[in-house]
Parts: sequence; structure tokens; C-alpha cells
Amino acid sequence: MHLLETRDLTHIYRGDVHALEGVNFAAERKSRIAVIGPNGAGKSTLFKHLNGILKPTSGEVLVRGEPITKVNQNEVRKFVGIVFQNPDDQIFSPTVEQDVAFGPINIGLDETTVAHRVEEALHLLGIEGLRERVPHHLSGGEKKRVAIAGILAMEPQVLVLDEPTAGLDPQGVADLVAFVNRLPEEYGMTVIFSTHHLDLVAEMADYVYVMDKGMIVGTGTVEEVFARPELLARTRLDVPPIPKLIRSLRENGVAIDMAYTYEDAKRSFLNAYARRG
Amino acid sequence: MIDDLYFIEKYAYQTSIVHRLDARIKLLIALAAIVAIVAVPYSTKVYELGAVLFALFIVLWAASRLPPTVYLKRLILILPFGIFLVGFQAFVKNPYYDVFHTIATLPLGIEIYAESVEFASILLVKFVISISFIILLSSTTKMQDMIEAAGRLGLPREFTLTLGMMVRYIFVFAEMFNRIRTAMATRCFDPLDRTLPYRYRLHQIGYTVGTIFIRSYEQGERTYTSMLCRGYGANAGLYVRKKPLRTQEIVFFAATLGFVVLSAVLIYVQP
Repeated sequence: MHLLETRDLTHIYRGDVHALEGVNFAAERKSRIAVIGPNGAGKSTLFKHLNGILKPTSGEVLVRGEPITKVNQNEVRKFVGIVFQNPDDQIFSPTVEQDVAFGPINIGLDETTVAHRVEEALHLLGIEGLRERVPHHLSGGEKKRVAIAGILAMEPQVLVLDEPTAGLDPQGVADLVAFVNRLPEEYGMTVIFSTHHLDLVAEMADYVYVMDKGMIVGTGTVEEVFARPELLARTRLDVPPIPKLIRSLRENGVAIDMAYTYEDAKRSFLNAYARRG
Repeated sequence: MIDDLYFIEKYAYQTSIVHRLDARIKLLIALAAIVAIVAVPYSTKVYELGAVLFALFIVLWAASRLPPTVYLKRLILILPFGIFLVGFQAFVKNPYYDVFHTIATLPLGIEIYAESVEFASILLVKFVISISFIILLSSTTKMQDMIEAAGRLGLPREFTLTLGMMVRYIFVFAEMFNRIRTAMATRCFDPLDRTLPYRYRLHQIGYTVGTIFIRSYEQGERTYTSMLCRGYGANAGLYVRKKPLRTQEIVFFAATLGFVVLSAVLIYVQP
């Protein structure tokens, strides 16, 4: 049994728009999964199925082996938290604190537990200082953190992030990557995210799904997917600079180990130079 | 419910001889029919003109090849507004008649008059004819075409630009509302969930409404800035391309307009 699974998931929007066709997606505990694909590939539509916001036209979505029904819907939404791309859609309470408390109150927790959850979530994101602030005075990066805190306060097992790095400055992106990478290790959470920043995929994911035109057109580990440049080019994506450069070097006879993340690449280059010397 | 907004123009996007007709002609014919039926003074002659115009409407609707259910559904949606006023007339006297004959007496001293019932039915005919032509116009003409037509007919550009932006932003806000609703559902909020305190739910809905107000204000500012960046000023306006009418369209327009005016005048002057 997978933690989260879709079987032959098909979704047709009104007006006969085929957004998803026969999608088989699975996520295990503590895994880090990237879903990549061009605009309009169906990534967001897939995500909205994972907690029952959208209902499949055909096929099924299984959460811990059970289909989503009206009865377990709230249970599922506690279990699978989704952070949307635009934090403004998510933040609507007058203050940051109230917004983070919104989810916990809705799932019927008592006041002490709500306060505790809010405390934890604000602390985890390092935004205790924003507690009394009003949302429209926050910067883009701060809003993003508040949006994530609002979901984490519900203590989900699966965190789904739709384009989490969109609109963040480089330091904001680096902070987010470091933060998200802590979640599986420290809290046993599963992280699923979509992105157009392909260089982040190696930093943030263990497994990759490539989507195009509502279908999954490729899956595999980061190494497996980035070893298929023709697939990425076909789906309007590209191999990130680091593996691309190392591949060209290898093709030109340079003895260097393949690497995907910055740290691994640094090691490969140093080793290659050491061997030369 | 709000999702239906995206399909409001579903029928206007189909094609037929009526759909293809220039929007100016459709707009003017609908207007002519409404003016004709409204202009005929209160008398039983309204029934005759009503029948003639309704026949014209049926011919045009049939030519549009839209199912009759579309018309009936839209009519039923609008009818309650008129039915209330019409139904109310049966119980009161009006200045169009001198003598009133009671046909039924209800408790609390309420009476129904034969003359008032006649007046109410005349009102109903006027109402249904006017609404039918509006439904025909809106079911066969896209909103954008309607605005362009109004522009070509001489509606000042301040109005066409504002109307055009209204159409655009209705959809932007519907989308915004949908996204907020989704984000709320993700955090298990349902305004109809009885396990949550009533006051709390009311508060949250209040916040949502407030947020939408703030965001629409901000959206307005952003849009205005971006308009300024593209040279928006006193001379700006919606771009309305010149579009000459085809000969058949002019012939059709003249014939239909003539038919409407002539039938109204003939029915009015007959003894």
C-alpha cells in the first residue's frame, strides 16, 4: 500500500478540456517527489486531486489505500496539506496569527492545542516576529512562509507545494530548500512539489515525475530523468547547467564523475583535478 | 455555482445565421421590438402586436438553431421579477379604466377586478416580449461583440472601455474567488459545517469578503498602473475595428425593422 496513490486518474474539466489522462502517481513515506512539466501540463490539477478538492472524472485517488469520500474528506485534508502558488489566495485572516490558526480551528482542536500548533508552526518557519502583522504589509517571501505555516499547523503527513519558489529571491529559495529538506528527515513527512527551477530538483527531490499534456511521460530518480535530455527538450524543459556541463565534458573525454547537485559537482571537479595532478 | 459563469456564453459561441448576423443589427432589432411593444398604449391591441412580435421571435429563435429549452430556462430565471409586479396588479385599481367590476372577493377585504386582471395580462405580454428579445440577443451574441456593436453605433469610448474591462474582470474575480475557496477547503473550512461555531463561520466569511474587496482595490491599482505604462490617458479607448455591413444584412435589417414598425403602426391605427 502506498501512502498516496492515483490509479488511471483522468480529469476532464467542463467544456471537454482534458487536464489529466490516465495518471498513475505514487508517493511513499518520507519521500521527496518533484513533478515537472511545462505550463498547462496538469500539475496543479493533479495536486488538487490529492486532497479531494477536485473529483476524478474516472480512475481513483487512494490515501493510505482508501478512496477519498465525503466522510473522510476532512481527514484527508488534514493528512495532505497543499500550499498554493500564490500565497495571497491562501491568506485572508486579518493577522498572521489568526491565519495560521485557521486550519487547526476548522479541524476542531481546542484552544490550547490551537495556540500550541500556531506557536510550533511560526517557530518552524522562523516567523514568530510576524505574529501580529497584517497580511498586506508582508513581503512576498514572508507571505510564502505564512502560507506554509498555515498548512503545517494542521500537521499534515504529506506536504504538497505548488511552485514553491515562484517569486522568491535567491536567499528565499535557498532558505525554502533547506527548510523543505528537513521535513522528511525530522518529521517523517512526504514532500511533493512542482517547479520550473530544474536545478532545484536535484537539491530537493529523490524521485521525479515528468508531465506533459495531462499525462506522465517519464518517471525515475533524478539521475534517470536527467539522463534523458531528449525527453526534457520535448516537454519544453531542459537539463540543468551542472549535469549538462559535466555530460559535455565527459563526451569530450574528460574523466569526471557525473553529478547533479552543487555539492556533488564540486566534489567531482576537485576529484577530477586531483587525478590530473 | 460560480463555475457556471464560465459557461454563461456557451450558446453565444455556437454558430448559425442569427449568430453570424452583425451585433449592431441584433441590438437594434431587439431595441425596436421592445420600443414597439412598450409604445403601444394600454389596450387589448397589445395582445395582437404581442402575437405578431412573438411570431417574429420564434422565427428568429428557430433560425438560431438553439434548443427551445435554453429560452425557457432563461425565461423562468427572469420571470419571477416581472410576475410579482404583474400578479400584484390584479388586486389594485389602476388609472387606465373608469369602472371596475369585482370578479372575486377574498378575505381581509381584498378584491380582484376584471379590469385589473386584463391590465395585468397586458403588462405580462409587454414583459414577456421584451424579455424574449433580450434573451434572443444575449443567447446569440458574445458580450465582446455586443460592446463593439455599441461602440460602432456611437456609444462613447469611455463607456465601451469601462464595459469591456468589466467583462474582463468579472472573470478575473470569479477566478480569484474560486482560488480562495479552494484554499479554504484545503484547510477544512466549510461555511455550512455545523460542527464549527456559527459566529466563527460568520467571521471567516466576513474576512473573505473583506479580502476580496482589498484585493479588487489592489487589482484596480495594478491594472491602472499597467494601463498608464501603455499610455492610457484622456484619448484612450477600446479599439473598435471598422466593419461595414454586408448587403444581405442591411436588407434583413430594413425588412425586419419595417415589419416591426409597420405592424405596430397598423395595429395601433386600426379601429
